[in-house]
Amino acid sequence: MGVLRDMFTALKGGANEVGEAIVDANAIRILEQEIRDAETAIASAKQSLTRMKSSEIKLKREVATIDADVADYEQKAVKALNAGEEALATEVAERIAELESERGEKASEQATLDTEVQKIHAMIKARERTIAKNKRELDKVRTVQELQRATESVSKNFAATGSSGHRVSKALERVKAKQQGWQDRMEAGEWLEHQEAGDDLDAKLRAKGLGDSANTGASDVLARLKARQAG
Amino acid sequence: MTLDDLAFRLNEYSGDEGTTFDAFVTERGILEVVCSNDDEFPIHVTMTETQLLSVTPLFSTSEVLPDKLHELNDAFLRLSPAVPLSSIGLQGDTYILFGAMALSTRLEVIAHELEVQAENTIDVLEAVEHLLA
Repeated sequence: MGVLRDMFTALKGGANEVGEAIVDANAIRILEQEIRDAETAIASAKQSLTRMKSSEIKLKREVATIDADVADYEQKAVKALNAGEEALATEVAERIAELESERGEKASEQATLDTEVQKIHAMIKARERTIAKNKRELDKVRTVQELQRATESVSKNFAATGSSGHRVSKALERVKAKQQGWQDRMEAGEWLEHQEAGDDLDAKLRAKGLGDSANTGASDVLARLKARQAG
Repeated sequence: MTLDDLAFRLNEYSGDEGTTFDAFVTERGILEVVCSNDDEFPIHVTMTETQLLSVTPLFSTSEVLPDKLHELNDAFLRLSPAVPLSSIGLQGDTYILFGAMALSTRLEVIAHELEVQAENTIDVLEAVEHLLA
């Protein structure tokens, strides 16, 4: 059974403070014990694998020796036949047959060993899955405990300041005011940049005698006043 | 990586959009992070064996208008999937916004998560502000 259901019962029952049991302590112990058991089983399985590997190496060596012997006797049997030593060749052939049956036994021993090795690998995988699953379960408990820790100090402050009302609205207003201020400053910066670029252009135009002269202002005003008087 | 390392690296960090962080580890071993885009709702960072958890406490159930609790819970269940990178939850009597990252997460990604979480906080609170006292 997963720890979530356990946790739900505890949290529903009001276990919200840091340090309060959010799952049955026994459930945690069982998960931890299962992890330790699986780790022990994996360690001993790995020892078995090492032993089996050495048996396998030995078997392979023995099979190779038999193969070499068989090849050797086959040559000798052929020689005996060629020499017309039929009886001797038969004796050699019997020896070869013995060796081949011995080889067959070794080969089947090796096949059994292979099956065992595969079983052990599968067992290790299964145990590793148990470890990973239990660790995930324990991490759920740990996550809730950490969430409690991370929330605790602030929620006490909420209790203290919450009574004044509109705490969230006021905080939102302050954030938005700051963001607006920041936005305004950015816009002001852009405006200034724009102005400076514009001034630059005006200055360039004036330098070429193409812009509005700074001194034409007075004569313009005078002309306007005269025109108004005439009107 | 420890929370102290993370605090140090976040304080040195500056995001593409000019976001900066003020980070320190409290006496109780929680990393408190204030993101420059939202300094009213600090993010509390903590870790388990596998995860980095970032928690922003939002408000207490006692701050919800008495007859609006159901509406708020309903709104949160509906809104939560739409909130990028963060989830909404209830821790004790406190509504929280939280994110979880693998311990192996790169600093740039952690910084991005925290930045988004700070933004999400404002968005989520604005959405339900009218249900709060």
